[in-house]
Amino acid sequence: MKLNHWWHWVILAGLAFTVIFMPVPAGAATPIERTFRIDARRFEYDPAILKVNPGDRVTIELAATDVVHGLTIEGYDLQTTADPGMTASISFTADRSGTFRFHCTVTCGNMHPFMTGKLEVGQNTVLWRAIGLVGLALFAGVWKGRK
Amino acid sequence: MTRLQEFPWMEDSALDVAVPQSLKTRRVPSRINLYRIPWLKAMLENRWPQFLIRTVMLVGFVFTIATALLGSRVGSHNFAIIMVWIAWWTTLKLGFIPLGGRSWCSICPIPLPGEWLQQGGIMEKGKRRLGLYLRWPKALRGSWLQSGGFLLIGMFSAVTLTDPHVTGWVLLALFALAIGMSLVFEHRAFCSYICPIGGFSGMYSKATPVEVKVIDKEVCARHGDKSCYQACPWGIYPVAMKDSSACGLCMECLRACPKDNLALNLRPYGTDLARPITSSRLDETFLALIMLGSALVFSAVFLGPWGWLKMSAFNLGSQAWLVYAAGFLALNLLLLPGIFTLSVAVWKKISHNSLPLRRMIANEAQGLLPLGLLAWMAFTISFAIPKLSYVVGVLNDPFGWGWQLLGAGTGAYPDVSRLILALEIVLLSVGVAWSARVSRRLSQSEGKVNLPTNYPVLVFYFLYAGAFLWLLVG
Amino acid sequence: MIKEWIARGIVVLGLAAVISIPVLKTVHGSNGIVMHARMAENGGWAPENLTAQVGEPLHLRLTSDDVSHGFAVGQLNQPAVEINPSEVTDITLVFTKPGKYTFYCTRWCSLNHWRMRGTIEVTDPQTKTEPAKPPLYVMLGLDIDEAHKAAVIPAGIPAAWRGALLRRSVPEVYQNRDYYFSHTPLDLWTALRSEQAYKDLSAQEVWDLVAWVWLANTTPEQVQAGKEIYAANCAACHGEQGAGNGVYADQLAAGTNSTDTNQSTGEHTQRPANFTDPVTMLSASPAHLQGKIIRGGMGTGMPSWGPIFTEDQTWQLIAYLWTFQFSSEVRP
Repeated sequence: MKLNHWWHWVILAGLAFTVIFMPVPAGAATPIERTFRIDARRFEYDPAILKVNPGDRVTIELAATDVVHGLTIEGYDLQTTADPGMTASISFTADRSGTFRFHCTVTCGNMHPFMTGKLEVGQNTVLWRAIGLVGLALFAGVWKGRK
Repeated sequence: MTRLQEFPWMEDSALDVAVPQSLKTRRVPSRINLYRIPWLKAMLENRWPQFLIRTVMLVGFVFTIATALLGSRVGSHNFAIIMVWIAWWTTLKLGFIPLGGRSWCSICPIPLPGEWLQQGGIMEKGKRRLGLYLRWPKALRGSWLQSGGFLLIGMFSAVTLTDPHVTGWVLLALFALAIGMSLVFEHRAFCSYICPIGGFSGMYSKATPVEVKVIDKEVCARHGDKSCYQACPWGIYPVAMKDSSACGLCMECLRACPKDNLALNLRPYGTDLARPITSSRLDETFLALIMLGSALVFSAVFLGPWGWLKMSAFNLGSQAWLVYAAGFLALNLLLLPGIFTLSVAVWKKISHNSLPLRRMIANEAQGLLPLGLLAWMAFTISFAIPKLSYVVGVLNDPFGWGWQLLGAGTGAYPDVSRLILALEIVLLSVGVAWSARVSRRLSQSEGKVNLPTNYPVLVFYFLYAGAFLWLLVG
Repeated sequence: MIKEWIARGIVVLGLAAVISIPVLKTVHGSNGIVMHARMAENGGWAPENLTAQVGEPLHLRLTSDDVSHGFAVGQLNQPAVEINPSEVTDITLVFTKPGKYTFYCTRWCSLNHWRMRGTIEVTDPQTKTEPAKPPLYVMLGLDIDEAHKAAVIPAGIPAAWRGALLRRSVPEVYQNRDYYFSHTPLDLWTALRSEQAYKDLSAQEVWDLVAWVWLANTTPEQVQAGKEIYAANCAACHGEQGAGNGVYADQLAAGTNSTDTNQSTGEHTQRPANFTDPVTMLSASPAHLQGKIIRGGMGTGMPSWGPIFTEDQTWQLIAYLWTFQFSSEVRP
């Protein structure tokens, strides 16, 4: 890289900064109570995708339908386990926006480590920012790729 | 004496020998010869360090097979499953390959026993050897079989990765195959043409910063013994190497060269990519696309929220599994190659390129390598890092017999999910930028200066990265 | 050449060392019996049948080969121990009485969870096994497979507190445990209805009175204990609210209509009983219910709990079952 092209990098860094930190108008949905009943069976949650708005009061009722299953949500410090016939319940306020994976905490068979679902709190802005960054990277690669 | 004339690429290298490097105008990227560092040279020249590491690996490998077959039946608590598919895989994908290409091959234990028989010794070649020393059939050269092997593993991945017995038998089968092939064929036929790990390590090693290279080809031209070729367990003549994809970094040629004319170079990333295209191969495009496709499928199966997909990948032989297998093959054999061919065909059309389409597709493989390498790193991070805590458990009690080798401590692990998310995005962005740069240089080297940007292929990269992000981050 | 031989020696020694670990383990074994728990479909317990002597400790090392299980010995009323995959749980049992004990899995691990059972034959050279007392339903000569339907059912859930507020005295004959065990709530309602003293009460008020009398046979402690037994052992099929709609209910019901036997259980299973249904429940006596529980459903998918629960536990469970029919709520 030639030193006199330092401003190229400043432009790229500025664009990247914009994509990462550009504020997105948050939807002004009034928080409500939401209850989900999740049937857990080997090796899936049904439903596996939960959509809530930021600030919602969320209750998850976990019912194991074959063997003992558990549930923990990344990013939220929550955990519960449910035996078949004993529905477990957790409540929390969805105060962190983003998409969070949840997964099983009790060994329930070979595919247990991959038993997952996801909690979507509001818009998944991370995905759109990530795609923006990849687009920017594409542009940078072409731009700086000249011989 | 040698069979050099039988190597198809020898003509090219003969040209290289006639026109020494120093006379060419091509700008040679800066390289650091690690073999000049005295302590490193001493360590590499002496066979013991490498031998001891390989022996430890071999003992560990046999131990792993024993735990797979005799240890806990529960995948997430089995030493073999966790050490192979979490610990080793992570080290390979985040360490060995990105830092040293085929560097894993230099300490891989799998060919050791076979080579002992084939060469009649471990440290030095013996008189009593065992084997037929057949040449590997020409039709089977290249990475076609390795691609096929990888597809086969992919079709059964949900079971192989989670069932200890299956993992055990797969490891045993690879071990037996390696020994058997050493006895039937010459050199490292298993490593070069069958081992799927060798296949993609070799392919990605073109992008990575370690290579073994002849310093001055003129010295080699004047040297009649070709001691390096005699010493190479892989049957490679270093002068003829166009890129580092076939070299297993075993260092035998460096030890053998009487003129000290070989270098172990540290070079910039991507040195072998986007050069004037002489070494492009269609099989490499195929393998590169399979690696991209299987990263997508594995992300969907293992990291996605779709239980039906997990179950159909897991229930071998069921109707759902047949559909999954068909879908997996269709994506890797038809869909991705189809879209890629289409992109290249469109590019050929708009750039009025006169090269045959096959050749162009083969050339464009190089652009797929950075994206594939970094997509696999991103997948590995989200696949394996959250499960590293299992490693402690299996080290504590490898057979599931109630041992407490490390004490009963099971600490709490920090939640690194947000960090992983950020890393995935950074890795994929780097991959796309790097691939775009390679693509740009490729099209420039094709000579179309007025139309230097290969938009269709860039769109392919962008769509792939978008789909991958949707699976990992979405 | 010496170098070469040293290298070969290292490789061979290393391999020999690593192979000797499992070999030595097999030769030496470990102290105590290692017992593997697997889902019933995959073989259940291994070993399945054990022998022991009275007073001699029986040391077991328990581990699971698939999912979470639990271990307990029937009729002993001891807390269960957890068995987790790849963990070894040590347990020592000492038997004081000879007999044939049943050990069983305590956590639902599939529809066939209750088939995960094994036996421990405990012998004592000194004493002989006492012959077991036949259960109440046998002594009463009840046919517990006979269809039973209450012709009269209450309009709403009868409440004990409403019954108590009626402030009526009920003849002693209806207020003892023997009557309770051998009669159905419908029997009591019919008897009270025919009594001249209650002619002024409505049908529902008589039901409230029945609820009050009936629940007087149970204590809150009994109901609480029964509730815990129910949640752990019954709710997976009969439903957490007793409505016969537990998580396995649909699978069991699928066995009813098929001409083949239910694939996962190997029998003609049927939909689990609904304890909130007054037609069947109010026409069943505690002895009848106890019979169903201890004998099991004979091919319907209902396990036999006789070898597992103590007699007290069956009465606790039945005390809890009545709360699906009668409101035990306390009102001032």
